[in-house]
Amino acid sequence: MVFNSLTFVVFFALVLGIHSLPLPWTAKKINLLVASYIFYSAWNPPFVILLWVSTVVDWYAAQGLVKARRQAARHAWMLLSVIANLGMLAYFKYGQFLVDNFSALMASIGIAWQPAHYDIVLPVGISFYTFATLSYTLDVYLRRALPARNFLDYALFVTFFPHLVAGPIMRPTELVPQFEQPRRATGDQIRFGLALMTIGLFNKIVLADSFLSRAAEKVYDSDKIPGTLDAWIGTLAFSGQIFCDFAGYSTTAIGAALCLGFAMPDNFRFPYAAVGFSDFWRRWHITLSSWLRDYLYIPLGGNRHGARRTYLALMGTMLLGGLWHGANWTFVAWGGLHGLYLAVERWLRQRYSDYRPSPAMFVLLGLFTYLLVNLTWVFFRAKTFGKAWSVLSGMVGMNGGAKPILETYYLVVVSVIVAGIVLSHWLMRGRTLESVITRTPAMAISAIWALLAFAIVAAQGSGNAFIYFQF
Amino acid sequence: MRSGAFVDHDADAHERAIHARETASDRPGVAQPVPVRPVPKQPWATIAIGALVLSALLLGGWEWYWRDFGATPGIRNSDGLWAIQRRRIDNGEGDATVITASSRLFFDLQLDVWETLDGRRPIQLAWEGTTPVPFLEDLAADPKFTGRLLVGVAPELFFSGFAYRGKALKYARDESPAQRAGQWLSMNFVEPYLAFDEFDYALGTVLKRQAWPERPGKPNHLDVRKLAVTEADRNTHLWSKVENDPQYKALMRQIWEQDFVPSPDDPPAEEMAKERDVQIDRAVKAIATLRARGVQVLLIREPSTGPYLEYDNRLFPRASSWDVLVAKSGVPGIHFEDYPQLQGLELPEWSHLAHADAKRFTAALHEIVVREFWKADAPRAAHHER
Repeated sequence: MVFNSLTFVVFFALVLGIHSLPLPWTAKKINLLVASYIFYSAWNPPFVILLWVSTVVDWYAAQGLVKARRQAARHAWMLLSVIANLGMLAYFKYGQFLVDNFSALMASIGIAWQPAHYDIVLPVGISFYTFATLSYTLDVYLRRALPARNFLDYALFVTFFPHLVAGPIMRPTELVPQFEQPRRATGDQIRFGLALMTIGLFNKIVLADSFLSRAAEKVYDSDKIPGTLDAWIGTLAFSGQIFCDFAGYSTTAIGAALCLGFAMPDNFRFPYAAVGFSDFWRRWHITLSSWLRDYLYIPLGGNRHGARRTYLALMGTMLLGGLWHGANWTFVAWGGLHGLYLAVERWLRQRYSDYRPSPAMFVLLGLFTYLLVNLTWVFFRAKTFGKAWSVLSGMVGMNGGAKPILETYYLVVVSVIVAGIVLSHWLMRGRTLESVITRTPAMAISAIWALLAFAIVAAQGSGNAFIYFQF
Repeated sequence: MRSGAFVDHDADAHERAIHARETASDRPGVAQPVPVRPVPKQPWATIAIGALVLSALLLGGWEWYWRDFGATPGIRNSDGLWAIQRRRIDNGEGDATVITASSRLFFDLQLDVWETLDGRRPIQLAWEGTTPVPFLEDLAADPKFTGRLLVGVAPELFFSGFAYRGKALKYARDESPAQRAGQWLSMNFVEPYLAFDEFDYALGTVLKRQAWPERPGKPNHLDVRKLAVTEADRNTHLWSKVENDPQYKALMRQIWEQDFVPSPDDPPAEEMAKERDVQIDRAVKAIATLRARGVQVLLIREPSTGPYLEYDNRLFPRASSWDVLVAKSGVPGIHFEDYPQLQGLELPEWSHLAHADAKRFTAALHEIVVREFWKADAPRAAHHER
């Protein structure tokens, strides 16, 4: 079920109620595990089997890793986990993509081969929970952590519903220890957790779905050629939409976990105020970028084997990171561009290591980063390269004579909201939400909380799925 | 590993967590520790009560505003509501009379009147602003449907293939248990009590229809407003405000009039003719499948009047659209212009019948259908099946 639904409101109220009953800690954990399976199967019950497969394979792989005496056996257990998880991902997420590309390759050498259409439904959240379970085995393999002491704690780490389908991507060392000791949220934690959920749902239901998504759809999902203004507004709308959608999900997830007494890590840190791309990736989808860094970039050599290997590892990581988002070459292009930006930035930092920007230049560099981020979002949002080129052409003023697509309403609303997002990110750049709340008068917090809650209800969200569910 | 999720007992650590919290990006290549999630020091109980009271006041004011406008609580015509009706065919009511149409037969055919005359309530599967052709194909592909089918033909939509609510079919096929539960909760515990819980009063919709200045080359388009009232089984009729509020009625007419004026964005005539033929062929094929299964199909061209009728006729003249559809499909058709008893009715905004006249229309239509078609057509359908 999605957070932005009436079903979730009832589900969460029941879970909170049951979790607060004076039951033994093990019983509470079993309740949370069962609730998490219900949460997941509420989409498509048979897909719970995949979740079980991923859970059981990695549990036994980690046990095998600990017991293995020989390095070859350790490799084998690690590979079992990687193949099982990535195999599921490859079949369900990339099966059609691989078959289509193989068919195109055959056609290019004159062999006509028409594969049967797969028609496979992508299990929700598979990219997220496979990465979470993989990190469990890989941490044990890399001797960074010991396996969980009992299966219940481990299964709950994989399945815990707040992070299950769209992150933050949890590491076992972040969550398993929290299940080992009884814990109960204080009244203030529940209230602050609910406030965080309100902020998250406001981002998703009001900003992303009600005010930004339509402008992006009108530009990206129509066959009209956009002029400069439409191309920019459509792209800015998407940049705001995807932030509000995904950061909204993460904030809601963090709030839900907090209400139950558990802590989850930050997944976003005001990314549109990033200065440079290494800064951007320290602020955007932090749990994915750090996962890719720890389990892909570093094992590929990281920065320990010379400049050439570093750049190759960087590009490889970002290309695969792009592909993780979706089975389409446009996502690979998106990841590749980010890899290129990171590589260029790395070279510039080494070449001009003494350079310290003035405050004005710092802001200009930040705006330049934001500009490039937006240009790159075009490949993320466009379904085809043809559409991406059409929008990019519009953005650089090459679609002369294009008819206007967006009415004044969209121009105004997108401009105001996106400017608000960027400005707030700059104001919050070096701060945390908690530090600002600490200094805000209580009455103002009440008023803002009430306004957000009112807007959520009045916006009447139609339960749209979060964008990242498809990844 | 120390469980460090909450550090309220440690003032320094709390301050650090509040102001300068590390993330995984600060700790490369190591096992990530238990996250720190501090609660800002504030009187949260007072804040929560204040927020609760204030949001209740705001929502109360919003509800009052819409009730003052004339809105009353009702059932939302959602995809989930449609899916409930569609499932009836799969759950033992496949022999029922089913309606697939656009808004005209949706608003004009009153299920209670039909039930009184027929003894059985039809299943209403029509959608506003949407061609019934994909839904016709869906029913044709479902062997569980063996009943009778009334197909509403609103020329502008049927022959253009336009489908404002076309996603409903996919929604019904893919509807998750969570969505079903949400639909049940909403129609039992929210919709019957809140007047503002209506698509037309959503915050984004309300903001969009304000008097924004026009962008040169892109005039503001008035979106269709709330037109009808729907019940739990999708029995629907024109909203009384459209009939009784002259300003609102004028607005509805103004909204339709936007389409009556030819626009440079309109597809060329050849393209429209091509699309019309595609839609006719699709419908004919689906009807043939239904007939082969013994399903009686009846095409109905519901009333329109005034400028809307002129628009209908200009866009898709009867001779090249309706008449061709009836001839090619081989099923009977009822065109309102051929039946005096289906004329002279009140259509406040030229396209849909006033509630009282919708009841009269339903009774008259039922009489025609039973007398002239159901009985007469039954042997033909059976013969076709053989």
